[in-house]
Amino acid sequence: MGAQPLTFAISHHTTLRYSALVHGSYNEVRMHPRHRGGQRVHAFTLLSEPVAAPRSRIDFYGNIVHRVDVAAAHQVLRFTMQAVVSMTEPRARRPEPWQAVVLERDPNYEFALASPRVPLDAPTAALLQEWVGDDRSFDALVEVARRLPTEFRYIAGVTTVDSSIAELLDGGAGVCQDFTHLFCALARHAGWPARYVSGYLGPKPGEAEAVGESHAWAEVCGTDGRWVGLDPTEGLPVAGSHIRLAVGRDYGDVAPHRGLYFGSAGSAPPDVTVKVSRMSNDDSMSAHRDAPMERQQQQQQQQLSPRRSAG
Amino acid sequence: MIQTGDAVLPAAADECLDSEGRPRPPYERILGTLTNGDLGRLRDVQSSAAGWFAERDITFGAPSEGTAPIFPFDPVPRVLGASEWASLERGLAQRAAALDQFVADCYGAQRALRNGVVPARLVYSSTGYLRDVVGAAPPRATWCHVSGIDVVRIDGRFAVLEDNVRVPSGVAYALMSRAAMQEVVPEWLDGAGVRSIGDYPRRLLNILQRIAPRPWAAEIAVLTPGPYNAAYYEHAMLAQGLSAALVEGRDLWVQDDQVYRRDAEGGVVHVDVIYSRVNSEWVDPLVFRADSMLGAPGIIEAWRRGNVALANAPGTGVADDKAVYPYVPAMIRYFLGEEPLLDNVATYDLTAASHRSHVAASIDRIVFKPVDASGGYGIHFGRLMSAAEREKMLARVVAEPRAWLAQEEVQLSRAVCLGRDGGFEARCVDLRPFVLLDEQPWIVPGGLTRVAGSPDTLVVNSSQGGGSKDTWVLNH
Repeated sequence: MGAQPLTFAISHHTTLRYSALVHGSYNEVRMHPRHRGGQRVHAFTLLSEPVAAPRSRIDFYGNIVHRVDVAAAHQVLRFTMQAVVSMTEPRARRPEPWQAVVLERDPNYEFALASPRVPLDAPTAALLQEWVGDDRSFDALVEVARRLPTEFRYIAGVTTVDSSIAELLDGGAGVCQDFTHLFCALARHAGWPARYVSGYLGPKPGEAEAVGESHAWAEVCGTDGRWVGLDPTEGLPVAGSHIRLAVGRDYGDVAPHRGLYFGSAGSAPPDVTVKVSRMSNDDSMSAHRDAPMERQQQQQQQQLSPRRSAG
Repeated sequence: MIQTGDAVLPAAADECLDSEGRPRPPYERILGTLTNGDLGRLRDVQSSAAGWFAERDITFGAPSEGTAPIFPFDPVPRVLGASEWASLERGLAQRAAALDQFVADCYGAQRALRNGVVPARLVYSSTGYLRDVVGAAPPRATWCHVSGIDVVRIDGRFAVLEDNVRVPSGVAYALMSRAAMQEVVPEWLDGAGVRSIGDYPRRLLNILQRIAPRPWAAEIAVLTPGPYNAAYYEHAMLAQGLSAALVEGRDLWVQDDQVYRRDAEGGVVHVDVIYSRVNSEWVDPLVFRADSMLGAPGIIEAWRRGNVALANAPGTGVADDKAVYPYVPAMIRYFLGEEPLLDNVATYDLTAASHRSHVAASIDRIVFKPVDASGGYGIHFGRLMSAAEREKMLARVVAEPRAWLAQEEVQLSRAVCLGRDGGFEARCVDLRPFVLLDEQPWIVPGGLTRVAGSPDTLVVNSSQGGGSKDTWVLNH
C-alpha cells in the first residue's frame, strides 16, 4: 500500500496586457491538470475576463485544451484556473533502457527524436558523453538530472520562454524550462524517450502553501511504457507534489497560453501567479468549506450570468 | 537532324520519334501536318495563343512591376497514345490510392509505421505531419482529393519523379492551353481525335459537394494565399469554374466552430467547403503557425468537428514529403497488396549511413534536392560540382540528413518544340497528370506537360522559366 493521497487546491492567474485595444482574440489554454495515474482532478474551473465560454478538446498528447474566443475589444485578458487535485506518491521505479530496433516501432519513439525546441546536436551529445560516458541506464539519467543544477545556475528571468538550449550552454544559467529542454536533449541522445511536463510544485514539507510561477520537469519512458518523472531543476526524481498540467515534446507543445489577437497592439510577457495550497484530506471531502472553493463558486455564477461584470 | 517534309526535326526528340527517326505512332498525324507546310503556321499559332492568354490575363508567376508574366506556351502538342495512357492511368490511380491510405493511416492507427513499412522517424520529423490532425475523420474518409503526380519517361517507361498531394497546381494551365488550341487550330484537334479534358471542373465540384456537411446546399470557397502567389490565376479560374467564392484568410472567420465569409453586399455566408490552395500548416494560425496571415484561426477545429470540409484535408503533406517518397512503392504493396505499376526514380534515404556512402561514391550521377523546397529550387547536380563543392555538399548531408534527398540523375525524354529561331528543337519534358479521388480515382486525360526553358536545361519546372504544352491523349 502506498501513502495516503495528498490533496491540493491550485489557483493559476494569467494576465495578458496589450499596449492598445485589441479587437477580439483567439486563445488556446492548456491549464487543465492531467487526470491520470496517481494524479486525480476533483474540481476544475477556467474563467476569462472579458467573459467567454471556453470549449474543450483533448490534444494529441492527451492534454485537455480550452479554446477561449473573446469577441469583445479588450486591452487586458485574464485567465483564472482553479482546481482541486489529489496526488499519490509515485512508486520508485527503475525502468529498463530500450533496444533501438524495438523503440523504432514504438509509439513513444517520437519522444526520442529531436523536436523543434530540443535539437539533437553535437554540443549536447558531447555533454552527455562527458557526464556519464557510455552508460545508457536509467541510473545515468538520474545522474544527469542530479548533476544539471550543479553545473548550471538557476536565475529567474535570465532567459525568456523563447530561449534555446544553446543559450543555456553559453550563458551557464537559466530557469526550469531551459533545464528541462537540456535534460530532454541529453536523455534522447542516450536513446530514451523523454517528454516535457509543465505543471506546479506543491508546498514544501511543513509549509501550507507555495506561491510563485509554474514549473517544468521531464519524464522518461522505459520498456514497460510507463513514464517516470525527473526534475532537473531540483536535481531529484519527482515526488507527490509535482502536479502535472500538460505533456509534450517540448515547451512548444504545452505552453499554458497561446493566442492571436486582431489589431496592431504590442504584447508583454504575461503575468503569472500560481498558488498551491495543501488541503487536509477531510477538507477535500467537503471542499465547499474551503475558502478558494467559495471564490470559485462565486465566479462560476458570474460566468453563468454574463451580464454581471466579472470581477 | 532528320529531314521530314520541308522541316528539320531534332534527332534527340525521343517523345516524338523512334530510334530510326520516324515519328512514333501517336505523333504521325501532327508531325505530318507540321512538317508539310504548317511550320510557318506554328509561329502564328504561338503568337495567337499568347494573345489569347494575354487577353484573359492568364499569368504564371508573382507580379513584378505590377503585372505577372503571361504563361509561356509551346504550340507543338505533347501526344500520348491510347494504350500508353491507359497503362499510365492505372499506375497513377494505384499510386494516388496508396498515398491516400497512407495519410489516413498516419492520422489513424499508424499500422505502416508499426510494421516498419515507412520509417516512423521520417513521419515524426516531417513538417507535413500535423499532430493536431491525428484522430480526425474527414468526410468519406478521403484525404487527398486532388493530387498531381509528376512523371518522366526514362528509357521509354514512365517513372514517378515526385508526388504532390498538398496543393498541386497547374490544372488551369492545362485547361487553358487546350482552350487556346481549340480556338486557334480546332482542325488539328478534331483531326487527331483528342480526348476532352473539359470535365475537370465539374468532377472537382462533384467531389467538393459530396464532402460538404450539407451536400444539397454546399457553399464552397476557394482559399488562396493571394495575388502574390504564382498560381493566383489558377485559383481565380477554378473559383469561377466551381461557382465558388475566391477568398483569402482575412475574408473568413470562425465563430462557434462554424466558418463564415462576407459576400459582396456585406451579408454573412456560412462556408461548408473550402477548396484550399494554402498549405495546411498555414491554414490555421492558432494551431500551426502563429505567424501565418494566410488562413483563419479556428478553421482546424471547425473541420475536426465536421462543420466545414477541407480539400485536400489538412496534413496530407506527410505523404509528399520528399523523404517519404522512396517508400511509396512499399506503401502500394502494403496497403493495396499489389505490385507498383509505376517505378520510382532511384532515390537514397540520406538518414541511412549505407545510402550516404553510396551517394558519396557515385556523386557524379546524383542529384541533391532539399526536402522542404518545391518549384525546382535548390537542386544540385553532382556532376556539375567542383571537388570543393562536392565536399561541402556531402558535409551538409551528413550534418542534416533529413533535409536532403539524393536521386540518381535521370535523362528526361525530349519532345519537339518550336525554337526561338523559328525552327524545331528538342527540349526536356515531364508530365503532371491530375488525379481526383472519390470512390474511384478519375484522371484528367493528359495533364500539364512542362517544358524546359531551353534545349540544354535539365530542370523542368514552371517556376524555372520553362513553359507548357497542350497534352493530347488520343481516342485510339
